Amino acid sequence: MEHQPQELEMIPHSSSLARRALGNASVLMSGAVLVAVLIVAIAAPLIAPYDPYAHDLSRRLLPPILFEGHNAAHPLGTDPFGRDYLSRLIYGVRISLIIGVSVMLISGLIGITLGLVAGYFGGRTDQLIMFVINTRLALPIFLVAMSVVVVFGPSITGTILTISLFLWDRFAVVVRSATQQAVNQDYVTAARSIGCSNRYILLGEILPNLVNVVIVIGTIEMAYAILIEAALSFLGFGIQEPTPSWGLMLAQARQYLFFDSWLLYIPGSALFSLVLAINLFGDGLRDILVAGDRG
Amino acid sequence: MLAFVSKRLFSAFLTLLLISAFIFSLAHLAGDPAIAVAGREASVEDIDRIRAHYGFDRPLIEQYFAWLGRALIGDFGRSYHYQQSVSDMLVTRLPITLTLGLSALGFALLISIPLGIFAAIRPNSLIDRLSLALAVVGQAMPTFWFALVMIVFFGLTLRWLPISGNANWQNFVMPTIALGYFATPALMRLTRAGMIDALESDYIRTARAKGLGQGSILFKHALRNVMIPVVSVSAVQFGAMLSGSIVIEQIFALHGIGWLGYDATVRSDLPVVQAITLITAVFYVALTLVADLLNAILDPRIRIG
Repeated sequence: MEHQPQELEMIPHSSSLARRALGNASVLMSGAVLVAVLIVAIAAPLIAPYDPYAHDLSRRLLPPILFEGHNAAHPLGTDPFGRDYLSRLIYGVRISLIIGVSVMLISGLIGITLGLVAGYFGGRTDQLIMFVINTRLALPIFLVAMSVVVVFGPSITGTILTISLFLWDRFAVVVRSATQQAVNQDYVTAARSIGCSNRYILLGEILPNLVNVVIVIGTIEMAYAILIEAALSFLGFGIQEPTPSWGLMLAQARQYLFFDSWLLYIPGSALFSLVLAINLFGDGLRDILVAGDRG
Repeated sequence: MLAFVSKRLFSAFLTLLLISAFIFSLAHLAGDPAIAVAGREASVEDIDRIRAHYGFDRPLIEQYFAWLGRALIGDFGRSYHYQQSVSDMLVTRLPITLTLGLSALGFALLISIPLGIFAAIRPNSLIDRLSLALAVVGQAMPTFWFALVMIVFFGLTLRWLPISGNANWQNFVMPTIALGYFATPALMRLTRAGMIDALESDYIRTARAKGLGQGSILFKHALRNVMIPVVSVSAVQFGAMLSGSIVIEQIFALHGIGWLGYDATVRSDLPVVQAITLITAVFYVALTLVADLLNAILDPRIRIG
């Protein structure tokens, strides 16, 4: 064989992979932010100065530090119920991460399965799956998600499942076209000729070659899931009081836009920074893992 | 071409049929609609009477086809809450949402196409890097938070713009920006990538060799080919905006179909929720159909393959 099989180029050697990751400033920085966020989420009970559920009506709406009239005991101030804003922010990151990771896993499972099957078998199977993808894309996400909440009642599990059922399409589309390319390659033909089962070829041969692409899509969908949860909670159809969720904190802040707009800036910039870190991490990973220009 | 069109039309039809069934069953899982109409204090006899009046006692499949048949001729029934024809409500609310969607799309194109072109002419220049930064920030910005920050800044602090309602064009400025900027990164990257491809192609080299001016090369030759994907992605983005406008309309109290959809969901006003979900899906399917047909007309490989 004269030419290198293409799929080998997709996966750089592991030591060079590590070197490229270390050389990529945005992956390094966003990765560090994400590790810090993860530690905060896991160690929330140790880090948070107060119980995020504890009301103290004598300390309502204390402004954060740098503002006039702040209280050093509450560095980010208190919300309209007198709950410590920093503690609610710290516990809120748990919700965002739980939603982001669970949705990524569930929607990934659905999307990758459909994409593999559609790309590998082609023909009518492919047409059927493409039809399902198009149907899913035509459903308005917020309206349907809200109706689902009306039907089944609000819960974290329900929120995760609903968002997951809306975010698998990108996994499916990308995995499908990657599989279509893989099917014609020598290693798949070789696996077929020695009598491997379809299941083995899909899961043992093709899927491992798609890991890089899947990881990159996973980061995009995780960021997107976090934004959708926040928006749903903001509209009152996601996480419910008193659970600390950033979207819910923003819904509350909306009642105090005029005099206490800091209530809005703190959870909003936390949400923005988390999503930005995930996106930058995903972008950097794509540069490292998947060859090709940004476009 | 005819085979391609009929195939796409048929699949669009099937998609809408499946969606209508989905919407119908979801709405009818939402608890007893008769109680929703009658209110919580109604007597059992009242509820029974309403159930018979609206046909809720019939088999679901029969109700579905009756509903679908009426929906096809534009009759979506009456709102439980407003006691008004749903179609009439849609006719008054739809222009507001369409205005918002179109101006948001216009805003997105106005920003993304020039930036995409500049970025492509000079890759890795300051403008390219700035537009990339804008795209990265734009994708991470929560739309509803951005809208609220604008309200605080332009509405409450500077008092330049009204923060709610839909009486004047000023009411549409902040909603347009909030809804439109979300589509900007995708359109900008698409323009940039397409322009870079086009500028490296043989026909542009030929145009240069002929001695055509830079302006003519960029706008008459390169941009024309880039516009094909931009137009089809814009169509799809417009469909997505119509469904995403629910959050923006709720924040700015812009009484379009998004606001109505939110209001109706809160009140369990089934006919309104069903109608809006279906209308939004119809728009999306029609727009993707247009985008696909446009691509097929301009690129023969699609309609043959």
